[in-house]
Amino acid sequence: MSAVSQTQTVRQEGSAQRVSLAREYRRFVWRRVMCLVALASAALVALLVDIASGPSMLGFADVVHGLLNPEAMDAGTRVIIEDIRLPYALMAVVVGACLGLAGAEMQTVLNNPLASPFTLGVGAAATLGASLVIAFNISFLGLAAHVLLPLSAFVFAAVASLLILILSRSLGASVHAVVLFGIALLFGINAVVGLIQFVADAESVQQIVFWTMGSLARASLDKVWIVALVLAVCLPFSLRNAWAMTLLRSGEEQARSLGIRVERLRLTVLMRVSLLTAAAMCFVGEIGFIGLVAPHIARLMLGEDHRFLLPGSALAGAVLLSLSSIASKLLVPGVVLPVGIVTALVGIPLFILLIIGRSRRVAL
Amino acid sequence: MTLKLECVTAGYRNRSVFSKLSLPEIPAGALVAVIGPNAVGKSTLLKSIAGLLPISGTMTFAGENLAGLTSHQRTRRVGYLPQPLPQAIPLVAYETVFSACRSARGDWSREETEHAIEVVFDTLGIRQLALRRLSEMSGGQRQMVGLAQVLVRQTPLMLLDEPTSALDLHWQLNVLNAVRDATTHANSIALVACHDLNLALRYCDQVLVLSPDGQAVLGSPEQVLTPELLARTYGIEARIERCSQGQPIVLADRPLPAGVC
Repeated sequence: MSAVSQTQTVRQEGSAQRVSLAREYRRFVWRRVMCLVALASAALVALLVDIASGPSMLGFADVVHGLLNPEAMDAGTRVIIEDIRLPYALMAVVVGACLGLAGAEMQTVLNNPLASPFTLGVGAAATLGASLVIAFNISFLGLAAHVLLPLSAFVFAAVASLLILILSRSLGASVHAVVLFGIALLFGINAVVGLIQFVADAESVQQIVFWTMGSLARASLDKVWIVALVLAVCLPFSLRNAWAMTLLRSGEEQARSLGIRVERLRLTVLMRVSLLTAAAMCFVGEIGFIGLVAPHIARLMLGEDHRFLLPGSALAGAVLLSLSSIASKLLVPGVVLPVGIVTALVGIPLFILLIIGRSRRVAL
Repeated sequence: MTLKLECVTAGYRNRSVFSKLSLPEIPAGALVAVIGPNAVGKSTLLKSIAGLLPISGTMTFAGENLAGLTSHQRTRRVGYLPQPLPQAIPLVAYETVFSACRSARGDWSREETEHAIEVVFDTLGIRQLALRRLSEMSGGQRQMVGLAQVLVRQTPLMLLDEPTSALDLHWQLNVLNAVRDATTHANSIALVACHDLNLALRYCDQVLVLSPDGQAVLGSPEQVLTPELLARTYGIEARIERCSQGQPIVLADRPLPAGVC
């Protein structure tokens, strides 16, 4: 029976009616677009739940209704939603998206599945840059602290990225060596930040601690707009490099022979990663593991075509940080934990799983 | 459309792998096997023609100096398959080949690209792999996908660095048939680095032998592959005999003691 049906299929395939690969691929792409839509919907749902959850619980329907029709809300709810919950939840989405995008790009250009702004110390460098401005009240060219702080975070993040780039290029370092270097950088910077805390006054120390813990508590709509703007500027440039990054993933030499200037690509991508990291962190502090885990989730769902992977990873980051934000409000009733603590608690086991999975594959 | 190398020196940072290499003109439609012992510079030669290494000297292809081309012009003329296989990542084969077309053949319309991909998957006989992820494939299958990335671009010059290293016998013959067809039909030139002398004898019009002393010999397989040359370049004692169908075959008997060669 099966033999008969097989011969029939063969005969059908032999005829002109055969489905072309292009058509099959288009169907395949369609499924991916659907996956992206699903991720986007998940991000939206997580955002709404994030707005609804907190010390005074609001109904899901109330939130949707309140957002669509603010006039109809009573004054108390309106203050809670518009002044507290909305900036907080939107900040989680944009910061998560920035970190997800930065992580995916970093993993691609360094060809390292363990790379992320956090694990390679780029985030810590941004913290150092911020701490210096906070503690020593540095003024430079007459720039105000709120401009200087993100700028200094970016410069330090960029220097850390360059160090990583130089190391992975000149020493031809392996995946694990680069991660170990990142961890060394992390420790070193933490020590320097500790030193700054030691000499700084009490108020600065409090601000620095806030930075290192990572908290959405100081979000405001203006700040959300700034982060969103950086993301909106970076994303089109990322997508313009999507084909090149896809090719780079399939093989560096092949990519080179196809006319891709790999060194230049690495440099521009890492500068973009530094910008995204600094933007994501400058108002909420250091939030770890989103940039590491989001690209892996996106890759499982969407594969390695960077046209889908990059936006997918940004969306996955947004979903992850929104969920973490919800968890930070629900874990201990009545208390809002710094979200960085939640992401670290969830992220570390996943990081270990990735390392184990990788060493198993290498051993095989 | 001929390829000519004059006085070419290439190498890495502070070590030149070959110096002042000159080759007679390689005619259009030629399938050339590049053979020689390990570390003699087969890959270096292909990489430098592909423009991935700085060189001195001149390389002329179809009347143009290859070094004078922009990287965009070069990708239209030269297809290069590196020795490392494509990485085992969750990219599907179709995307891998499609992205190569996107990058190198921006002049093609979508239909032309899709048609070229369709044809290359059929020629190589890997249609059933088109929507499979590279991470689910064997090394040999990934090598076929890498080759598809090169063949699909239909470049007049193809440089293939050990395209059959991960393949079983069936696929080795399949690949060389496909390359042979491409060179015959499009009148293009293919340089194929390989270790299998019998494969070279069977499929190639010309053999380029690089030997450790920096000498290079180019000629038809039967002229070039002699026991003396094999002793000199590989340090082995070998015979060239005729099989029952009259084809020449190389039989390697034993390594020669160091110093003799």
